[in-house]
Amino acid sequence: MILGIHQLIPAPLKEKLTNRNSDIWLQKLSFTSPEYISIQAPSGTGKTTLIHCLYGLRSDYEGTIYWNEESLRSKTGEGIAQLRSREISVIFQDMRLFPELTAWENLEIKRCITNTTTPQDVAEWMNRLGIGDKKNSLAKTLSYGEQQRLAIIRALVQPFSFLLMDEPFSHLDQKNIVLASTLILEVVRQNNAGLLLADLDKNSFFPYHKTLLL
Amino acid sequence: MNQNQGDLLKKLLLRNSKNGRLASAWIALCIGCTLLLISVMIWSTFQDLLKGKNNNHDSLGSTFLTISKVVDDASMADKGLTQILASDLEQIKKAPQVQDIGLLTPANFKVSASIGSGPMSFSTLLFLEAAPDRFMDQMPESWQWKEGDLTIPIILSRDFLNMYNYVFAPSQGLPLLSEQTVKALGFTLTIGEGAQQTHFRAQVEGFSDRISSVLVPQSFIDFGNKQFGVQNTVNLSRVIIKVGDPSDKGFTSFLNKNKYTTNAEQLRFSKMRSIVEVVSLATGVLALLLMAIGALVFILFIELTMAQAQTSVKLLLQIGYSPRKLSGFLTFKYIPIMLSALLTAASLAVALQYIVSQKLNQLQLHISPFPGLYLWVAVGVSALILLWQISRSIRNAIKA
Repeated sequence: MILGIHQLIPAPLKEKLTNRNSDIWLQKLSFTSPEYISIQAPSGTGKTTLIHCLYGLRSDYEGTIYWNEESLRSKTGEGIAQLRSREISVIFQDMRLFPELTAWENLEIKRCITNTTTPQDVAEWMNRLGIGDKKNSLAKTLSYGEQQRLAIIRALVQPFSFLLMDEPFSHLDQKNIVLASTLILEVVRQNNAGLLLADLDKNSFFPYHKTLLL
Repeated sequence: MNQNQGDLLKKLLLRNSKNGRLASAWIALCIGCTLLLISVMIWSTFQDLLKGKNNNHDSLGSTFLTISKVVDDASMADKGLTQILASDLEQIKKAPQVQDIGLLTPANFKVSASIGSGPMSFSTLLFLEAAPDRFMDQMPESWQWKEGDLTIPIILSRDFLNMYNYVFAPSQGLPLLSEQTVKALGFTLTIGEGAQQTHFRAQVEGFSDRISSVLVPQSFIDFGNKQFGVQNTVNLSRVIIKVGDPSDKGFTSFLNKNKYTTNAEQLRFSKMRSIVEVVSLATGVLALLLMAIGALVFILFIELTMAQAQTSVKLLLQIGYSPRKLSGFLTFKYIPIMLSALLTAASLAVALQYIVSQKLNQLQLHISPFPGLYLWVAVGVSALILLWQISRSIRNAIKA
């Protein structure tokens, strides 16, 4: 899977970002899975905007984003659904869980799309990240840390070639970061996938091949 | 889609689908559909009544008239002027409102009827006529004659019997005769003259309100005219026609222009047809409006439910659900509800048709106890339109 970015600049941030030195905005880049990329992005430089643009949630940008040499803009609703369920997975900064579903149901509803992970694996991953006892708790009753671990597991229950992460550990302590990053790396390797993590600071959560400044 | 996934989607997307609101929407749709189907049924029944199911049945939309040429001073001198020729028949066929035409064939031979024998006998000269079967309002089972049969069935105009019973008999001190008595009395018909004279037994089998004549089967008239006819050709001077609206100006002016005469009262045929058509049209328009309102309530219910589930729809799309799968899931949930409303409406319409047909039967108006093809076409078309509208609303909600 190849991710291509060509002269990308989000329209709302155009004026602010045009005169800034960035390794990504207005550049021509290409990432191939299984490549591990870290994006260091100080506040206000468009970190979440970048992840959303790459995942196809926003289209208010100039330039082109390619997934496997096909422009993201040219994809239909069905094409994007196919991409999101089989090729790229994401961990949102704001988690985006269904508050009215339990922790287990939040994972099930994602797992059922492709049915490529077993419920046993999912249960084991919950236990590894320390939220095995929260299966039947409504997502809205979980703490931010628990919600973030749930969002991480949800991103792993589908097949993917690239994993996009937007500050995935912002609500976790060091111990849980190690547990979560170990699990993520394990599943990324199983999928022979690449990963792209955007965070505020330089980090060593994963053995990155590249670190870029946004 | 497995059971688990279906349950989760239902929990996310249909949790705002309150039962009370769903019931109201269902009732609105059901009422709309019922009214539409009933109006289709009323329209279809009116069409049956207007057109008449059978050719020989009177209906609201057609009537039978016997027409002949006016006897005036000129035709008094020349009998041929009252004859209806082949060219006249063609002209009548093309006249406005004329749906069918039949020849009233007169007997072209001498006929006398006699009853009793000796001093108690009674004899009179008589005329006979035949009309095509499809124009007969009375068709007794015995209404047939073939060469060799000695008994001839007769249908008498009810007017003749009425005139005898209410006018002639009281003034002459004669006994009154009921229809049953007349049917029970047989009499002798003497046909032809001289050596060819032949006797037949005649039996009155029924009374006609439609044709003022003494009617015998067509086969007998044809036989008699051939066998005993005093002329080689039969001169036709009366035809019976089936007309849609006899009060139609085009038709009456045709009669006047070509000097045809008929029962003028019939030409003032009530405006029932026009009234019925207006009523059925108004019912249809009203029902369509109510159906549209019913459908709108149902669609708005779906759209409201979808609007309330919009956050979940967006998130489902974000985590990789395909818009087609979500549309399919929701459409599949709402279609049975829509179909149940439509089928309930169809059942109500069928039940109503049955009840109405029973009631109308008592009024001698015969309609089918079960709805015809129109109703099922209306059910099918309504289902397709609703299906299209529901799918469209769901697709739009998922795109939004």
